[in-house]
Amino acid sequence: MVLSQKLHEAFKGTVERITGPRTVSAFKEKGVLSVSEFIIAGDNLVSKCPTWSWESGEPSKRKSYLPPEKQYLITRNVPCLRRAASVEEEYEAAGGEVLLDNDDNDGWLATHGKPTETNGDAEENLPSMETLEIGKNGTIKSISSYFGGEEEEDIPDMADYEEPDNLIETDAATLQSTYIIAHEPDDDNILRTRTYDVSITYDKYYQTPRVWLTGYDESRRLLEPELVLEDVSQDHARKTVTIEDHPHLPGKHASVHPCRHGAVMKKIIDVLMSHGVEPEVDKYLFLFLKFVASVIPTIEYDYTMDFDLGSSSN
Amino acid sequence: MSQNDNGSVLQFAPFQSLVDEGFWHRLSSLKLNTLGIDDSPISITGFYAPCSHPNVSNHLTLLSESLPMDQDDKLSVSAIIRGNRNRCSVPGILYNTNTIESFHALDKQSLLKAEAKKIWEDIHSGKAEEDSAVLSRFLLISFADLKKWSFHYWFAFPALMLDPPALVVGMKPTSQYFSLEEAESISAACNEWRNSSSTTDIPFFLVCIDSNSHATVRPLKDWEVCQGEDSKLLFGFYDPCHLPNNPGWPLRNFLAFIYARWDIKKVQFLCYRESRGFADMGLSLVGEALVSAPQGWRDPQSVPSAVGLELNRGKKIPRCISLAKSMDPTRLAISAA
Repeated sequence: MVLSQKLHEAFKGTVERITGPRTVSAFKEKGVLSVSEFIIAGDNLVSKCPTWSWESGEPSKRKSYLPPEKQYLITRNVPCLRRAASVEEEYEAAGGEVLLDNDDNDGWLATHGKPTETNGDAEENLPSMETLEIGKNGTIKSISSYFGGEEEEDIPDMADYEEPDNLIETDAATLQSTYIIAHEPDDDNILRTRTYDVSITYDKYYQTPRVWLTGYDESRRLLEPELVLEDVSQDHARKTVTIEDHPHLPGKHASVHPCRHGAVMKKIIDVLMSHGVEPEVDKYLFLFLKFVASVIPTIEYDYTMDFDLGSSSN
Repeated sequence: MSQNDNGSVLQFAPFQSLVDEGFWHRLSSLKLNTLGIDDSPISITGFYAPCSHPNVSNHLTLLSESLPMDQDDKLSVSAIIRGNRNRCSVPGILYNTNTIESFHALDKQSLLKAEAKKIWEDIHSGKAEEDSAVLSRFLLISFADLKKWSFHYWFAFPALMLDPPALVVGMKPTSQYFSLEEAESISAACNEWRNSSSTTDIPFFLVCIDSNSHATVRPLKDWEVCQGEDSKLLFGFYDPCHLPNNPGWPLRNFLAFIYARWDIKKVQFLCYRESRGFADMGLSLVGEALVSAPQGWRDPQSVPSAVGLELNRGKKIPRCISLAKSMDPTRLAISAA
């Protein structure tokens, strides 16, 4: 980890320990959530999009300000059929990328490669996410050392231990070689269907939800977080998406850094309100996950339920 | 394979395993803090859910909660560990050896056979009727190399072999098999089953469709009640498989159960699948399986042959994962510096 990032983490940890969780709602004013609002929004997500569930995580990592059985939200086995990086290449080849904000080079990319359902003009007016300060300090250099450039030299050649044939070969009722199924029309026959576990935690410091990604390759082996960055919009890889300790699970996971979430959510809420839609706090996570989709455009998690964004005045 | 109409062999897509990093972390800590060199088998819990996407199958997943709690954090959290709709519990057994040699020396076939025998006994004792998840009982053997932080492992999903194998007739999506009215009623009944916290993680069930095209989902133990009624009966199960022409692995032992327990030779089955968390009658398959099993199946004492060792990229070799990067204190210290 870069030093500045480490310092920031230490600072954030201390602040989280000595300050109480937010109890007063500042959802419309700042785009942030109190703990109880996070629970309300999470309950609504779980009931409308049942692929999401609440979980309790590691007992030793449990946060006292959250109910023990509602520590974080997770949806498992989410398919990711293509790498975001290659989608962007194709997209550029087809005429260039579209920034939602042209003032600087760090605007949010339009969500290409997504299901094309739109919510009318609200979506076109999504604000840009401004340049992230942490990102400016450069890329995270420690990833390669953390995960090691060296190959897994300690792992013996498993082929030495191949079992002699047994019944399974001769069992007519076992469907053969379906353990990898590609749905890629590509002719190079490289199978790319990864799956992801996507989790949402509550970040007490930023008072917003935070998204974490755990990836598995096409034979369902754990992906190193470094490779997860291939499924992140390349504008965000290593800037807004960093690799850190998960607050409820062991190991390092890729995460969309929450330092601008409040501001972005505030802008989305402002846009809605300017259209006469009064946003409701239990819809927060639907809006949030819609905006996260621009960071991870090819991971097909569920946020697409038809919902009324809020109580419309018309 | 596409020609199902003349009764081709019913082929099941093997279960796939997926192990969360948290499982290995907790196994390591159990081994270091509690188990020591005790290598007796441990009861574990796997989790799975119906397929919920047309492009990927669901897996039998192991999480840190799959293992018993460490002694020091054994605070009564068992209520929380209960399954939910996205993680239906399946009982399994773990043989974790102390050396790589004993790992390779384990007699996988007899361990597989031993688990198959438990399934067979649960079928005959009626336990499977009460707690249907035992039909998907699984086996895991492993060696945790805590010096190198690498884990060697091998899964098996024991399936009782019908000999000759079951044939399948007319398998197609539920939406094409039934009238619109019936399909909608099945869909609603299944959603209701899945939305109730008392039934959501029960992976095998009955679907009764009455003469008014009204479907209800019932537990297996209601089978006799359903007999008295003038209704169509489907044997439903949570299908982890996404393939359009094949049911997933759990149907194998379910068919064995249906035949051995109730002596049914023509079984209408429902491979229940979802999309975005709701019943999907286009993905869910219905078909008729024709079972003709040999005499031995009536005898509870003679356990049928079983298959189900998981392949690793098509080969019969164990899997291995190295977690040195996230577990080795030396490497962690270096990366944190």
